[in-house]
Amino acid sequence: MFSFLHMASFTMKIHCFQRNFSFSSSALVPVQLPSRMETHFWYILPDEVKSATLLNQYLDILSPCEKENVLRMHGDNLKKSALLARALVRTTIARYQINSQVSPTSLKFRKNIYGKPEVDWQNHYDRNPPPLHFNISHTSSLIACGVTLDSPIGIDVEEKQRTTKNNILSFARRYFSPHEVESLSIISDPEIQRLEFLKLWTLKEAYVKALGRGFSAAPFKNFTIRFRAATKGHLHLSGNSNSKASEIIVESSDDPKTLTSNWQFALLELTGSHYAAICKEKDDDTVEGKGSVPMKLTVRKTIPFVEDQCISGKDALVLVGGL
Amino acid sequence: MASASGVSMSLSSITCSFKKNQVPISSLKSVSMPIKGKSFQSLRLRTGPSRLRVSCAAKPETVNKVCDIVRKQLALPADSEVTGESKFATLGADSLDTVEIVMGLEEEFGISVEEESAQGIATVQDAADLIEQLISNK
Repeated sequence: MFSFLHMASFTMKIHCFQRNFSFSSSALVPVQLPSRMETHFWYILPDEVKSATLLNQYLDILSPCEKENVLRMHGDNLKKSALLARALVRTTIARYQINSQVSPTSLKFRKNIYGKPEVDWQNHYDRNPPPLHFNISHTSSLIACGVTLDSPIGIDVEEKQRTTKNNILSFARRYFSPHEVESLSIISDPEIQRLEFLKLWTLKEAYVKALGRGFSAAPFKNFTIRFRAATKGHLHLSGNSNSKASEIIVESSDDPKTLTSNWQFALLELTGSHYAAICKEKDDDTVEGKGSVPMKLTVRKTIPFVEDQCISGKDALVLVGGL
Repeated sequence: MASASGVSMSLSSITCSFKKNQVPISSLKSVSMPIKGKSFQSLRLRTGPSRLRVSCAAKPETVNKVCDIVRKQLALPADSEVTGESKFATLGADSLDTVEIVMGLEEEFGISVEEESAQGIATVQDAADLIEQLISNK
């Protein structure tokens, strides 16, 4: 009887080994689902992925449609970022091991009625699928994926050295709210002004992406993002990088009522080179009261199937709004 | 067309082999796989209407101006392939680029583009068509 059991487990082990082997170096390290208070932030640096074998491995997990889209991109760098973006999303969600049948390749995606991508659990789940939300953003040098449980999320990343072709204030006057234009125009140093512009841009993008109803549903001009200092009731306009901002709030231009009751933000600086803005809907329990609740963040750098690294400290510097 | 004949060829060859080996009819179901192949899917996608176009196609000069503005914004070399068919996304434009491109088009053509209209722009042609529509509405 014992030998029979041994045989069964031995066969199982061989089977598992073979499955892992197909991912050559190692399988994806599984991760626990975030709690409702948490946000998981995963990112990949394209420059750290050089192996053609690895890139082919990533290509293999994509759907035929995704592969077509990747190959349609103009030039190798764009193809690579498009590939890594899809590979990051698929491998990240598969890690949460919600169901043993979910693998990076088996995941299906769809778009909501406004075009925001979401997981299509299909028949992976008999009853209610896990309320896993995600959002991706990429620049040529960093690709990120944010994951939450049970709350819409939007993220946006931007290179700190990104310049605009248009004059910053002209651009802001055209697209930002009057308050934001004012907060930028009082900055005399053009470099600081550019950086503050990028912070506002990423935060506004993250908010619109979290809303998930498309650019036109929340025109940039109709809402203001501002930074608020720790002391209660003392409002700073953003612009001074030395201001002790403790939270980011969003206000509607049409309706003076603050929208913060629904949304929380965090702004990070990654590896000194990128800004990352995260916007997530607040958990019902934290909506009570006017107090701000910093976002509980876990930042991980990854090269799927190769290595994962928990990032903290100056490599994931929380500028505002996160823990 | 070529793909259609390809499928019918493989159908007949499979039928032949089945006859030889006297495999039960039910296994012919596996033949349906090639029909669901990529080539048919893409055909379906192309023949379906992608967008309801109200305006006529824009003048070539407009399309060329848009191409120039796009090339400048994305810092693409002068010889890079940018045509009416080119999608902003595949050229590498992210959201900030797209917004800057729209701003550049507004300045170049003296028009104002609403957020709803801007969201619908996927290709250079879309942008050129929208520009001419806005100009004619002025």
